Formats: sequence, structure tokens, C-alpha cells
Amino acid sequence: MSKKFSLTPYLFLTPALVVVAIFVLYPIFAVLYYSFTDYSIVTPPVWVGMKNYSWLIHDPIFWKSLGHSFIYLLVTPILIVLSVILAIVVNRKLPGIHAFRALFFIPVISGSIAVGIAWRLMLDRNGIINALLLSVGILKEPMQWLAEPSLTLPFCMALTIWLGVGYYMMIFLAGMQNIPEELYDSAMLDGCNSWQKHWFITISGLRPQITFVAVISSLAALQVFNEVFTITGGLGGLLQSAYTVVFYLWQQAFRLSHAGKASAIAMVLLLITLAFSMINIRLLERGTEAD
Amino acid sequence: MHKKLLILLLLVSILVTGCATATTQAPAATSIPPTPQTIILTSAPQTIIETVISEVVVTATPAPNPEAVIQGVEADAEIGFWTFWLSPTFDQYIKDTIARFNQAYPGVTVNWEDHQATFQDDLKASFAAGNAPDVINLSVSEGWVSDYASQGLLLSLDELVPQSVKDLYFPGLWNEQLIDGVNYQFPWYQGINVYLINHQLYDQTGLTIDDFPKNWTELPALCATIKEKTGTLCDIRLTVNDLISQMVYEGNVKPISDDGTSFTFDSAEAVAWLQQYVDMVTAGTVDKTVLVTDQDRVGLDLFTSGQAAFYATGPNLIREVRANNPGLYGYLGVVPAPVGKSGVIGKGLMSLSINAQTEYPNASIALAQFFTNPRSMLEFSKIVSIYPSTPDSYADPFFSAAPVAIEDSAKPFAEDAISKYADIVPTIPHKADVNAILLRYVQDALFNNVPAQQALTDAVAEANLLLP
Repeated sequence: MSKKFSLTPYLFLTPALVVVAIFVLYPIFAVLYYSFTDYSIVTPPVWVGMKNYSWLIHDPIFWKSLGHSFIYLLVTPILIVLSVILAIVVNRKLPGIHAFRALFFIPVISGSIAVGIAWRLMLDRNGIINALLLSVGILKEPMQWLAEPSLTLPFCMALTIWLGVGYYMMIFLAGMQNIPEELYDSAMLDGCNSWQKHWFITISGLRPQITFVAVISSLAALQVFNEVFTITGGLGGLLQSAYTVVFYLWQQAFRLSHAGKASAIAMVLLLITLAFSMINIRLLERGTEAD
Repeated sequence: MHKKLLILLLLVSILVTGCATATTQAPAATSIPPTPQTIILTSAPQTIIETVISEVVVTATPAPNPEAVIQGVEADAEIGFWTFWLSPTFDQYIKDTIARFNQAYPGVTVNWEDHQATFQDDLKASFAAGNAPDVINLSVSEGWVSDYASQGLLLSLDELVPQSVKDLYFPGLWNEQLIDGVNYQFPWYQGINVYLINHQLYDQTGLTIDDFPKNWTELPALCATIKEKTGTLCDIRLTVNDLISQMVYEGNVKPISDDGTSFTFDSAEAVAWLQQYVDMVTAGTVDKTVLVTDQDRVGLDLFTSGQAAFYATGPNLIREVRANNPGLYGYLGVVPAPVGKSGVIGKGLMSLSINAQTEYPNASIALAQFFTNPRSMLEFSKIVSIYPSTPDSYADPFFSAAPVAIEDSAKPFAEDAISKYADIVPTIPHKADVNAILLRYVQDALFNNVPAQQALTDAVAEANLLLP
């Protein structure tokens, strides 16, 4: 007996598919095409075959940027640890705890550009960081923090963490509401201390959220741009010290007008993020199966 | 008797009113000038004298507008006009000038937009989308004209602009940023290269304003003194978007061979130029973030905050200091910028160019020319310390008047200075790419202990790969 064909589900799906086709699929295929062209954005593209990919393989700045993007992934475990700790801290019935939750969430709604500019001002030679360190005698003369190549990328990463920790904290906080209180009661009866309760119950209970946060924060880290742009004032740090893949892509496209080369970078980044997503989803599925 | 007199007065007033009404309603067919008519009415016991101006409204053919110097402007043209960072301070000037333009060229609609920090990105996106503005405010000093012209995006002006109009501008400015000998810009407002001095810091060095370096090579010694005496760093900026140009003006570097087959910015002159900056970085006398920022405002903001002894800019930006730190304004000094080894004191600042794909080339040329004509330039100069690209503007008493405010201190020598501006940088193929390569290697020398000679030799080797 054959199933009766129904047009209704496809009609419901059509609006979403149209939007995805226009705003996701078309740009991906357009970028794929441009990656095989010499395209300056302002003049028509000219087909050059694999030339852009060949250039990419031999370009030391691209590899340096890619390396920085992978280093940037370190923000993911740091974000998870800090967010879980914060979630545990604010998951208490204490007076004024809602105010603390709101305070931790403020960076999320502040906007990365505004916060980046604020950080840049704080790290300025005449900024508040130097003023504090000078006043307590740690520094003898003001440091040019943003002129230290070894510090530029860590500052960007710190900004990403500061911006994201409140958001991920809320995710973990929501996850903790689903952990039955009885589990903590039984653990207490079994003689678990506070550390053991959180390690064996809270962290275990948050595994789906941890995997989810790992996926989205690592993808965000691979695509970081705003923090690098604002902290370095659009330069990418002295000696390209904070170049990431997306920053280099932007520079190629909008500073040097090499949209073809930028498209090739974008395709490589797409493949990397796809691979990351698949690995993460596989881990997520495995975690769910284990549960 | 009184009654009769009253009746007489009433009649006279009716008569006078009637005459006036009749004259104002007269058809305006001739060009007779207004004629005063004296009517004397005599009546006992007094004489009433009334003077009536009889006006004639004339609809004569208007005389040619002396500012309408471009012929063949397309009827009902609608053109886009983008400026760079002029709003809101100069909104009224721009609007007034457009209104005057509309009187000179009736029927042309101008859609003005001001773009600021994202100007370049917006412009590239608009070119890509096919809706770029017709008239574009491009920076000569940052090399934008040559960037866009070399990509075929700007309209060549040599054939389309009459010689009489070209002659309105200083020749050195008209012939700036030529691409293969062709001009793509109307020179607009100019800046005088000056250094602003913060006397609160500078005077701590024990130097006077007359001791300020006259030559670019004297800056390192001054920076060392400033650091020693005040603990502050020099607020010096490399033009990171156009390093080659800076090398040429400051270091008298020849950037490319005469036949254009190889780059030559690894010469002894180029090494000496770079070494001077390397020495300042090594000595710790310059702010490193300002040194390589691509935003002039970063350096200006540092100066405005009162934390730098001097900054290279134009008198027009003194308004920023006055607006953002009025306390510093009273301590400002202005000195001419030190001259580089090339001996050429500078090049132009801003220009107006035409989109090569404009639907209305004549209307666009007319607008660009109108904004850069002597009258428009003079009026602009009167509201901000910019300087005209047109010699005729300097004939106005405004420029011969003694300076009052510090913003005006360059007025007495402005015409002479600007008349000597010249673009001495040859056409550089793949300029943006070459500049990016050079910047990378210059940073290696500045911050990574790579010897200046090696950095520049490597830069030249990599840049040469771009040449055919």
C-alpha cells in the first residue's frame, strides 16, 4: 500500500526554504564561484581556476592567521569552566542574587564593538590599567599593552571570554533547574561534600549543555572578528599578532580588494567549521546515547 | 472750511493710493528702472508733498551665471554626492552651496550623503552594487584617487573639462595623482601641513617654538628630549595606507625604476628613512600604537587628550581640540611641518572625483567644479581653516587680514605653500598590495629586530613578484 502524497508539508516548508536559499545557499555558492576568480568587488570577476587556493597554500600570513584561530579555541574550555562556576555561584537563594545574575549578563547585551572600544581605552598607555598599576607601584612607567605582540591575542581572547561568560552562565543556570533536587539530598545522605555534589551531580547533569556550549563557542571562536578589530584598531596587532582567519579574510576583501582570495579563505573556513560541527554533533549524540 | 479740507485730503489720499496700485499692477514688459515721481498737490491752506516710487517688475532673460562654467549639463539630472566626514559641522555650508549650484544649474537634483569611518567600505560596496555616487570626495593624501582611478572607476577629466576651468586651479594640484598622465580629480580643500604644539608639555623641554625642527631628520632628537624631560612619547604616525608616498616625501626615495620593471625602495635612501623610525622605536621615544595606526584620529585623540607634545595635522583640525579639550586650546602653538629630504613641502588633501559610470557626466562635473570653484572655496575657508585650491580665492581680503585665532596662523603663507604642493610619487602598479607587503616588512624592522636593509630588500623581492 503506497503512501498518499501530500503537498501540505512542502507548502509549510517553502517560506523557510526560500529564506535559506536566498540568504544561505546562494551566498555559499556565490562565494564558492568567486573563490575561483580574480574579483576586486568593484570590477567583474575573472575566472582564474585554482590560483587563489594555490596562493593560500603558499601564503605564510594565512597559516599564521589559521594558527591564531586555533589558539583562539582555548576560550571554549575557559568559558565552560568559568560559566559553570558562575552558574553554581548564582544558583542560590540569596538576597540580591538576581542583581548579580543581571550584572554578569550585562556584557552580553553591551555589544562587542562598544565593549571592545572600552577595553582598548582601558589598555591604552594612559588608560585605567596603567594608572592602577602605576599607583600601586607595580609599574615604573606606563606600558604600551596593545603594542606588545605577545599580549594582543590574549587580550582579544580575554574580551571574548568576558563578553560570553554571562550568556553561557544563563544556559548552565537553565540546565541546573532541570537537575532534580532529590539527587543532591541523596548525595548529602550518602555523605558527599559540596565539591563532590557538584562534580558528580551538577557537572553530569549539565553534560548536554556543556556539549552545546562547546559547539557554539568553538564555532564562534573560529569566526572571531569584532574583538580583534576593536582591540587592535583595525590593524590586527603589531606583526600580525592578532590576525585570525576572519580578520585576514576581511583584510583581503575590504582593505586590499581581493574578494576572490577572501572567498577562497572563506571556503577553507567553511570546511573547517563544518568538520568541527560534525565532530561536535557526533560527540553530542554519543553523550546523549550514554545518558 | 474744515469739512472741505477733509474732503480734499480724502480725495488726495484716494488719488495717491490709486496711483500706487496702478503702478504695481503694471505689466512687466519692459526693463525700465524704477522711477521716483514727485507729485505736488497744492491746496489752500497747506501744500502736501508725496513721493511715490513707481516699481516695474521685469522678467528679463537672466544674465549668464558666472559660476555656471560647465556646458551641456543634462536636463533633470539627479546625482549622488558623497562627502567624507563633513557632517554635521558643515551641513549648512554644503546645503547652501548646493542651493547656489541649483541656481547656476537649474533642474539638477543633488542627493548629498556624508560618510565617515566606514566611507571606504561603503564606497566599495556601492561600486559593487552598481549604485556608487556620481561625485565622490576622495582623499589625495591617503592615495584614494589613484586607488580608484587605477581600477577604472573614475572619470578622466582631461578631455571633458575646458582649459579655462583647469586654469582656475593651482597646476600642482590639478596634476596630482595622475594615472598614466591622466587626471581624475578636482582639487578641493587643502590643508597646510603644520605641527600643533602643546605648550604645557613642550615648554617643559626648555625649547622654544623657534627651536622646533625645520627638517624631518631632526625629529628623533626632539623626541628623545621630550621623553627625557616630560616622560611622554612622541605622537608620530606612519601613513600606513600609503607608506611609499611617505618614503618619497620624507626620505627622497625613488620607489620604482624608470621603466617600471622593478621596485627600488630598498635603496640607501629608503634604508636611512626606515632606520630613523627604527631608532626611535628602539629608543622608546614614540607611541608604537599611534605609529602604525591607519586612523589619523587615534593620533589626534592622543594629542587632544593633552598627552603628547606635538602632532602633525592641519589647522582645520584645531576645531577638534577646541571642541574636545577646551583647556588645551589656550596652550596651542602652530609651526610649519618639518620638510623631508625631498624638499617638497606637501601634497594635496581632498578632491572631488566623478564616477566613471555616471549617467550624468556633465552635471557631475558641474557639481564637482562648483564646489571647488573660487567662491565656494573662499566661503568654505571662512568657516574652517582649510585652504582653497584656486589662486583667485586668495585675492579676497580675508586672506590678507592679520590672523586673530590660532586656527588662522597659517593664512599668511598658505597661498605660497599650497602653490608649491606637488605629487612627486610615480604611478605604483598594484599599489595597495605593494603597500601591504611594505607595511609587513617595515613592522618587522620596527618591532622584530630585522635589520632595515634586510626588511626592505625582502619587501622589494616580494613586491617584484607582482610585476609582469
